[in-house]
Amino acid sequence: MITFKNVTKEYPPKTHALAGVSFRIEAGEFVSITGQSGSGKSTVAKMIFAEEMPTSGHIHIGDWDISNIRHSDIPVLRRQIGVVFQDFKLLPKKTAFENVAFALEVAGESTKRIREVVPHVLKIVGLGEKGGRYPRQLSGGEQQRVSIARALVHRPKIIVADEPTGNLDAITAREIIELFTRINDFGTTVVLVTHDRDIVNGLHRRVITLRDGKVSSDAEKGKYLLS
Amino acid sequence: MRSFFRIIRFALQSMMRNFWLSFVTVSVFVLTLVTVNAVIVLNVLANASVKSVEGRVQVTVYFTSDASESTVKNVQSYLLGLSQVKDVSYVTADEALAQFKENHQNDPVILASLDEVDGNPLGQALKIRAYNAGDFPFVLQALETPEYKPFIKDKNYNNYESALRVLSDFSEKVRLGFLILALFFGFIATLIVFNTIRVAIYVHRDEIGIMKLVGANDWFVRGPFLFESICYAFIATVVMGVLLSAFLTFANPAIVAFFQGVDVDLVSYYLTNALPMFGAQFGILALLGLGTTTFAMRRYLRV
Ligand SMILES: Nc1ncnc2c1ncn2[C@@H]1O[C@H](COP(=O)(O)OP(=O)(O)OP(=O)(O)O)[C@@H](O)[C@H]1O
Ligand SMILES: [Mg+2]
Repeated sequence: MITFKNVTKEYPPKTHALAGVSFRIEAGEFVSITGQSGSGKSTVAKMIFAEEMPTSGHIHIGDWDISNIRHSDIPVLRRQIGVVFQDFKLLPKKTAFENVAFALEVAGESTKRIREVVPHVLKIVGLGEKGGRYPRQLSGGEQQRVSIARALVHRPKIIVADEPTGNLDAITAREIIELFTRINDFGTTVVLVTHDRDIVNGLHRRVITLRDGKVSSDAEKGKYLLS
Repeated sequence: MRSFFRIIRFALQSMMRNFWLSFVTVSVFVLTLVTVNAVIVLNVLANASVKSVEGRVQVTVYFTSDASESTVKNVQSYLLGLSQVKDVSYVTADEALAQFKENHQNDPVILASLDEVDGNPLGQALKIRAYNAGDFPFVLQALETPEYKPFIKDKNYNNYESALRVLSDFSEKVRLGFLILALFFGFIATLIVFNTIRVAIYVHRDEIGIMKLVGANDWFVRGPFLFESICYAFIATVVMGVLLSAFLTFANPAIVAFFQGVDVDLVSYYLTNALPMFGAQFGILALLGLGTTTFAMRRYLRV
């Protein structure tokens, strides 16, 4: 599903964020990517949805080599991937419903279908009643649920979440992670970037650990490694 | 097509929900148009008054007493044939004398000396009006032909010469001045519109980033902004039209009174030119908005 082959990333002038990263994530897996701050986790995540391009090496999504993806193909790629961020990245002037609908509107989905699907997905994330609210009228956890709903609504094969619990308290964080595992149970591949030890240890899933831009460990049913 | 309507809906939504930003943008557009229209109004007024002063200036050509009436009439039709000449009126010798006396009625010395002379010392005369004061030297030069010259006693050209030159210089300068003023304000206006839109887009930079992350293509991101800038141009033009009508309704009587006798009908000027003028203002503003939006998005957002 996702393949990194000898991927390096340099940020000019001379930051080597990734120095030869290789791994392969199969369809339906739930993979956590951990590592210390600055180890390159976010860089890996950004490359999956083509916000950054590798300096060298190759990245495949399915059969698609996106290492040198054309600018005009990026939206096509992103409509097949759901993304979730620490800071939610909701559109402040749109309601929860409109934020979720937006991901379908940009893909040209029919209005009729949008009216069916969006309330359903909002219910899945537990926000059935709050679709009419603007982001500023929602708590952090609720905002994150909206952003997860947006990431889900177009039925992507992959969801990439970069520190989705970073701004949430422990209980809310656990609820959000539970939501991801449920999403994964329906067959969606989940890539979860986190440095939260408790979350990683509680998942009992595959863990890829990065250190100084390299894969330092890659373990099935992994644990958060002290470094 | 579906995307097109969505883009328009997003644009209208964004204008409503960012009310103050929209309000400020439209205000800046309106102020821009106000300066442009102020320059236009001043230009119309200045042109009308220069025209009217020019129209009032006339040069009188006096003929010798032995010039026959038909010669003078010939000269009259010859002058009327010149494209610069607006009007030539014929004055008989008696009329010329009567007018001369009237002009000098407070000058007993001249009146007394007239009485000394037998008969009418004045001949027939032609009063010439030109379209432009600057054309008089040419018109009078045209009379310097062997055919007419012997019959011409005097042209009061000399008395008017310097005044005419001042006037025609002045009207040239007025036109040039307004051209410079218009260019200057146009330049300032362009800068202001440019910056306003740039700020508006800068304010939205995070949202644009989010839209792209969710898979919006460039047109989906750009479209609403482009449509918004057209809407702003349109609203601003309409507001300007309303402001101008209000201004003209209240101010036109005062303006007409101030320029007594001068033909300055701003209302009919605007009425006859409304469509091309507001069309051009809208068009230029919209193009400016579109250009700036495209530029700002390319430059600052890589969209
Ligand atoms: N746009 C950028 N320009 C320059 N350097 C960057 C940029 N983005 C990241 N870096 C550098 O690349 C390295 C890896 O960054 P990255 O964001 O992937 O780390 P991370 O593992 O996500 O860290 P954290 O846990 O703090 O989020 C860091 O040294 C960072 O300073
Ligand atoms: Mg990070």
